[in-house]
Amino acid sequence: MNASMSYDVAIVGGGPAGMAAAERTIGAGLSTCLIDEQPRLGGQILRQPPPGFAVTGWQSGRLYRAARALLARVERLDAFDFRAGHAVLGVGAGHAEEGGFALSVQPLATGGVERIDARRVIVAGGCYDMPVAFPGWTLPGVMSAGAVQTLLKSPQVLPGGRIALFGTHPLMIVLAEQILAAGGEVAGVHFAQPRRAMLAALGPRLPGVLRAWRPLLEGARGLANLRQAGVPVHFGSAIVRAEGGDALEAITLLRAGGRERVACDVAAMCYGFLPQSDLVRQVGAAVRWAPGPGGWETLCDEGMRSSLPGLYVAGETAGVAGSDVAMLRGALAGVTLACDAGALDEVEGARVAAALRARIARLAPFTAMLRELADPQAYLPEPELETLVCRCEDVSARALDAAIAACAEGDDGFGASAVKLRCRAGMGLCQGRSCEHAVIRRIARASGREAAQVAGFTARFPARAVPIAELLERDAPAR
Amino acid sequence: MSGARRIEEGVRRPDRVTLRLDGADLAACPGESVLAALVASGARRLRDDREGTARGAFCNMGTCSECTVWVRKGAAAWVRRRACLVPVEADLCVLTHAPEAT
Ligand SMILES: Cc1cc2nc3c(=O)[nH]c(=O)nc-3n(C[C@H](O)[C@H](O)[C@H](O)COP(=O)(O)OP(=O)(O)OC[C@H]3O[C@@H](n4cnc5c(N)ncnc54)[C@H](O)[C@@H]3O)c2cc1C
Ligand code: FES
Repeated sequence: MNASMSYDVAIVGGGPAGMAAAERTIGAGLSTCLIDEQPRLGGQILRQPPPGFAVTGWQSGRLYRAARALLARVERLDAFDFRAGHAVLGVGAGHAEEGGFALSVQPLATGGVERIDARRVIVAGGCYDMPVAFPGWTLPGVMSAGAVQTLLKSPQVLPGGRIALFGTHPLMIVLAEQILAAGGEVAGVHFAQPRRAMLAALGPRLPGVLRAWRPLLEGARGLANLRQAGVPVHFGSAIVRAEGGDALEAITLLRAGGRERVACDVAAMCYGFLPQSDLVRQVGAAVRWAPGPGGWETLCDEGMRSSLPGLYVAGETAGVAGSDVAMLRGALAGVTLACDAGALDEVEGARVAAALRARIARLAPFTAMLRELADPQAYLPEPELETLVCRCEDVSARALDAAIAACAEGDDGFGASAVKLRCRAGMGLCQGRSCEHAVIRRIARASGREAAQVAGFTARFPARAVPIAELLERDAPAR
Repeated sequence: MSGARRIEEGVRRPDRVTLRLDGADLAACPGESVLAALVASGARRLRDDREGTARGAFCNMGTCSECTVWVRKGAAAWVRRRACLVPVEADLCVLTHAPEAT
């Protein structure tokens, strides 16, 4: 077991938010440790090819320019520790006298659990694709849009010969273009919402939105490119089921004109993103149910301070808003922290923070429009009773409903943890990340509550599944 | 088998190494994830659930745990890992099912 290491700042997550935060804390002279379970810096939007790969024109599109510039700057910094390939399992209270935090970290290559101490912590864990249950969704070949995208970006692997995309998020347009550019075939892009619903979200906000015209232009250009390449793009086309034996062979969609069966070996869902917030919930910081896809976003003040002194959040952990906002919020968290630590002059810090907040405010209309335009809530497919909702513990919608009904007999205000105890949904390897939102929505529907009123699973250590043997190598907390 | 493949145009990769996957040889690129190597080889079924139904990877970003396999480097012990987070290297053995207790 390694000795504990001590820093002014530990940052969880090396994506746009974590990198922007690190740039500020390092710039203020604070000793900084950046931790990510991925092997390289960049986060989800910039999942880098492995070292030793050379990829011509990697992520050279305009949408990636600002994040790439940040990545290049941070990779040149040498005054900090980057722990790649280290999974953060938990954030807990630090030394009894000195305060601060103790992070439990698993080095994936060597195993075991190490402890990292930090006076302050920034959680910038990002977000993950909303997993949506429907008949056949557990077939190999059905995956998240992010999975397809990150396979293309990093190892440069096309996961299928014919890839179908479905969901409600416009990121599908970007992904379809990336598949084509990689020489792949897109079997169709299926937006579940009708075109008029998307235009209705766009219309009233147009003046504010036009200030962030670049992504709109890219979207329109992308749609035109897909049409030209002969890729069918449908609106109001909702997934019904996925079919196949040992793996996916086709998906069936329903729209006004009738049913369509689309042959494909990969079908990728894109209904939006849930904040990655298990670490902040575990340590007890306040969160709230997020709009749209849901999940838990961390409550924070205008300086990105969570409800726990010394714990800051940045990027999608504080609410899904895209990589430009993630970078700005990361920088804001870093600046606030540096001021709180006395490493940055208050007046100078306040000036920089105000400028960052102004830039975030300018992006707000676009973020709000995108959220409304991509909102999956009215378009989520319905699982059948035998469909598994919890993939890890194989809990069907039928078993889940029975557990919900049993809980309802005892107590009106029951939450997801009570249901979990009865049917094991959320007890598996993913620690409930995949099914929690679905369990909450089913409870809400059955008991006539809003999802935001239903308590989620109690977030427990470890945030990532670790074999008991490796946990036992864990250091006893220093006293 | 799927129509999966490595993108070749504009991509230079290091020389392949050989993985042992469930006892068979699989050529893979050092540095790419074990999951990427499996996907590129056309494999989609990674495990069976309690009903014996085929399952595959879902997120490729460490959150779903559907890609969990057992890996062993050289003479070290088997450890359970998410295949999407394990870089390929020489001397790596991968099992998609639990190793026999010895
Ligand atoms: C798969 C995927 C693909 C996406 N592609 C795009 C895109 O092409 N364009 C776009 O505009 N937006 C995209 N998004 C949205 C995108 O995530 C953000 O806009 C941006 O990357 C957010 O930055 P971030 O720093 O908040 O989070 P991220 O970039 O997600 O970075 C968070 C990092 O934290 C690490 N992490 C989280 N928890 C732990 C833990 N417990 N231990 C160790 N490390 C941890 C993760 O490995 C990750 O690298 C994508 C999202 C996903 C999930
Ligand atoms: S594919 Fe989801 S954790 Fe690896």
